[in-house]
Amino acid sequence: MAKKYNIMSILLIMLPWLLLISVWQQSNITSVIFSQKVMARKDYVYRRPPPWSKTLPTLHIITPTYSRTVQKADLTRLANTLLHVPNLHWIVVEDSKNRTVLVSRFLQETGLKYTHLNVETPSNFKPKGETTSRKIPRGTLQRNLALQWLRETYPVNFSQPGVVYFADDDNTYSLQLFEEMRYTKKVSVWPVALVGGIRYETPKINALGKVYGFKTKFDPTRPFAIDMAGFAVNLSLILSKPQANFQLQGVKGGYQESSLLKELVTLSELEPKASNCTKVLVWHTRTEKPSLVREGKKGFTDLNVEI
Amino acid sequence: MPKRRDIIAIVLIVLPWTLLISVWHQSNITSVLAAQKGNTISSRSDSRALKESLSLQNRDSVHVVQTEYVYIRPPPWSETLPTLHIITPTYSRPVQKAELTRLANTLLHVTNLHWIVVEDSQRRTALVSRFLQETGLNFTHLNVETPLNYKTRGESRNTRVPRGTLQRNLALRWLRETYPVNFSKPGVVYFADDDNTYSLQLFEEMRSTKKVSVWPVAFVGGLRYESPKINALGKVYGWKTVFDPHRPFAIDMAGFAVNLSLILTKPQAYFKLRGVKGGYQESSLLKELVTLSELEPKASNCTKVLVWHTRTEKPVLVNEGKKGFTDSTVEI
Repeated sequence: MAKKYNIMSILLIMLPWLLLISVWQQSNITSVIFSQKVMARKDYVYRRPPPWSKTLPTLHIITPTYSRTVQKADLTRLANTLLHVPNLHWIVVEDSKNRTVLVSRFLQETGLKYTHLNVETPSNFKPKGETTSRKIPRGTLQRNLALQWLRETYPVNFSQPGVVYFADDDNTYSLQLFEEMRYTKKVSVWPVALVGGIRYETPKINALGKVYGFKTKFDPTRPFAIDMAGFAVNLSLILSKPQANFQLQGVKGGYQESSLLKELVTLSELEPKASNCTKVLVWHTRTEKPSLVREGKKGFTDLNVEI
Repeated sequence: MPKRRDIIAIVLIVLPWTLLISVWHQSNITSVLAAQKGNTISSRSDSRALKESLSLQNRDSVHVVQTEYVYIRPPPWSETLPTLHIITPTYSRPVQKAELTRLANTLLHVTNLHWIVVEDSQRRTALVSRFLQETGLNFTHLNVETPLNYKTRGESRNTRVPRGTLQRNLALRWLRETYPVNFSKPGVVYFADDDNTYSLQLFEEMRSTKKVSVWPVAFVGGLRYESPKINALGKVYGWKTVFDPHRPFAIDMAGFAVNLSLILTKPQAYFKLRGVKGGYQESSLLKELVTLSELEPKASNCTKVLVWHTRTEKPVLVNEGKKGFTDSTVEI
């Protein structure tokens, strides 16, 4: 009996010492035991975009774009803004026959999560007898293609929450705007600066926090007198109403947004954001066309250098 | 009566387990501390505190270096990187807040950045003050008003002070008053107008400036881009531009950066206020600082465009009418 006891006690003694020795061999345990602290130094390496979160709704940002001198500049500063926004999926739709090298390379280098599409707007024509309403507003085909892509990619009952927003490549967006739109249930709205010939346009909000009209000089009785940059739509609404698209032709100036929104919501269902539509978080800026007069007929600069 | 042997046995058992537990406890605490910061998205950089507390040097301590990828805006300050002092003159107009917003959104990605915003105004405005605070950037807010131009009898047309000059000079003066001539912390000074477009790579290119570095700029001089001309030895020997290529420095404000020590050691170097022909403003400063051959080409020997001289259209506000339509207390 005593022997068993002895064996057990020897084991109990040996075991922890063996453990200690093996751990010490793996790392410098002696200094840990005999010094004051283990000094862990962190090298912080900045990463962008922010890490993906499992809980935040995804923002699907649809940006139509077209080749012109300032295209890369506009996309660059827009990307620099988007690179701060968590759970952002950028859908860039080129107005072109083929996806261009400039945009493909650019999107890759940003590090953003993106989808790169393209569809060419056919050149406008007015055959005899046709009205001027044959003209398709810029960006329409591209935005509709992005909506189609969403409907083809995600099932109608897609479980992951998302919000769709149309962001033109020359506007200016505050970072707060993206957080305002993130919890859109159906369609949310907010003021937009520098549109309609005034400092800003905004939905009118009553005491119950509901939209009852639009504060704008230009045609305020439109169903939705709001700019493309002034609303966002819950992804589920896009998926469950596949017939809702921007109308292609016969759309009066300023009625494009209404052509989509009337298929999606009623006025009273709109959700006001930006402190009940009292703050401006997005500006409808436009970039000047640069003067390239000194390029001359033959061109002065090297065309291989991308701008 | 416990035997001596038993006591020894108990000690031999208890001792190693106690040691093991205390070591395990120590290493767990440091890894928990480390995991707390850095995985969170916060809009203020407070990781600096953690870094400093863990960098205490102790001969008997074990140093573990862990690399942690963090998104914090702005990025955590680095002890080793030179500081970029970005000087932006600005003035009140409808698109001002929009311009500053998208410029700030760019700057918020850049490590060790110090933004010096100089308003062309009699007083620092509430709009800019509030705006700067909310960005979280490391900033200095100055102001100086450009006096209204007038042409008195006998004055030549060149009495006009180019926009932004007084403001940039004030920032240079502030740097010279704030930092000693032999300031030990390396820095680079760059003039960034609030309506231009900057790639993030540009800021890393300028960080290694020893004296004055240069690179191409798009949309200036009536061309797709202007650029310094670089020879086989990697030296600047001229300027590829149509408009007056024989200027001493035929380069745009956005096309060069200056080492802070050069600014501090040459306190007489300023942008010339008057009598400056169009396009010669940059030369008026640079000729006090460097010679052509001392210029350091960046952006792959000046073959890449990393900055665009964009301009923003003036918005149409005709529907505001005489009395104003929108609420003027709503800031745009």
